[in-house]
Amino acid sequence: MNVVLGPLEKDGRIPPHQQTRIASFLVSAHAAQARQLATAMPLRIRYAWQLELHSQYCRELEIISLLTRSTTWVPDPQLFFLMWQWEMAWQPQPVHAAGDHHEALLVDMAALGHAVHAGIRPAALLPESVDPTDPFVVAMRRIEFESGRLIQAQILFLKGPQLVAVRDDVAAAVERRHAQVRELWTAMLKGMNVGIE
Amino acid sequence: MPWLESRSRRINYELTGPDDGPACILVNGLTQYIKLWMPFRDGLVARGFRVVSYDMLGQGQSDKPRLFIDQSDQVEVLRALIDTMGPRPIFVGGISFGGVIALRYAIEHPDTIAGLVPMSSFAEIPPQLMRLGVAMRTALVLGGTKYLQDLLFPMNFSNAWLEAKADIIDLATYRGWLINDVYALQNLMESFLEFEPLTAKLSSIKVPTFIMTGEFDFLTPRPLQDSLRTHIPDSAMVIIPRAYHAFTLEKAELAAYLMARFAEDVMAGRFQGKKSVWIGPEEVGGELTPFPEGFDHLRSIPVRIKAPEPAIQREPAAS
Repeated sequence: MNVVLGPLEKDGRIPPHQQTRIASFLVSAHAAQARQLATAMPLRIRYAWQLELHSQYCRELEIISLLTRSTTWVPDPQLFFLMWQWEMAWQPQPVHAAGDHHEALLVDMAALGHAVHAGIRPAALLPESVDPTDPFVVAMRRIEFESGRLIQAQILFLKGPQLVAVRDDVAAAVERRHAQVRELWTAMLKGMNVGIE
Repeated sequence: MPWLESRSRRINYELTGPDDGPACILVNGLTQYIKLWMPFRDGLVARGFRVVSYDMLGQGQSDKPRLFIDQSDQVEVLRALIDTMGPRPIFVGGISFGGVIALRYAIEHPDTIAGLVPMSSFAEIPPQLMRLGVAMRTALVLGGTKYLQDLLFPMNFSNAWLEAKADIIDLATYRGWLINDVYALQNLMESFLEFEPLTAKLSSIKVPTFIMTGEFDFLTPRPLQDSLRTHIPDSAMVIIPRAYHAFTLEKAELAAYLMARFAEDVMAGRFQGKKSVWIGPEEVGGELTPFPEGFDHLRSIPVRIKAPEPAIQREPAAS
């Protein structure tokens, strides 16, 4: 099993079927983030921290747009099943120990965001010999780089003073979401003969 | 490569050298991983030591806690590793962040080791180091691991080294980026930015302690190492000529020679710390020279230490 994507096309690009599978996974995960953020955001921003939610919502949309435009898409029949599996996994899993239902959903949303931004490192899968000017490659690097910034909102919230009393429950929720995202990500890669374990 | 379980977390570690040799356990600094100890480790192995190197919790291939890393977890990992070594003389060496963990270990478990070697380390975070730490954290958060590494290279190494190794720096940066995760490094950095100063507890370190500092280390400058020397009773400090912060990489053979020599002196009952200050040799096998008496070792220019003012004799108060 390979530890990076490939073998590369003759022109040094990632094979289109790998681009399609990876981009589909990322679109699914980031679209789930965008949907949840859109739901969590009020119509009118009243508090400073809500600006952070809005900013993150916009960045998630940017990532989705970038993926749809930089990927060389090819038909992939397996995606019907895979997309269903991924979308089911992103369904809310409220962390009831965190407080009321709204707070419980927020903690889960942040936990999932932490897992998506920290646990998925698409640029680490790029072979050294890849064409660095290929838009898909640039997009993978951009998404990984942006994830390091985007995760700050989740870190601030999950480590914040309002959740100190339920720190263990929050940590467990984050671990659960990480395990789930990692399982789906590695299974998707394994389906393309790429192993990161 | 063996794995250690500590508080349900997996630690990646490596054992090298003769089974029955005295042990040296090496604790790495920020963004480091096992392989970076190789030349230092080989220097110790060549002198008959059993060497344990490992990826600190949150780094390399060891587990990376998602939200919180407590320094107590790092100390616990070190304790678990030391437990695996059985009864033999054990020396703990740590560089930078790793030195802090080694100091904490020596404070909390004073009877389990034969000697301590803090390298480019510190027991408190004064304003300069705090601002540097905050800036490095911001660099990591806004610019990612690669940007942090770009900042750390000139802080850690000399011009000569950077020039000589120019062709491998990109590869080293790539490997460091690949093996580290932003969130885990961030957790690690935050655990240090929030830590309680150890200075007041240093006097409880009873084991012989050999403090190593680079002549040109401006990341953790000499006064930070000197604070260790003045507080730890059985200590000596050696200034490594022309060395910067990461001398275990740039001058690995020399640093390993000095650590081995210290350990041999301790085992032979020859080590006498006396809070002394020494100048290290330029080459492996060279001798240590006492810092010239009467001069201030904390200055970069030769400044004589002022003689203490004679005490004023007071007349007995009239009754």
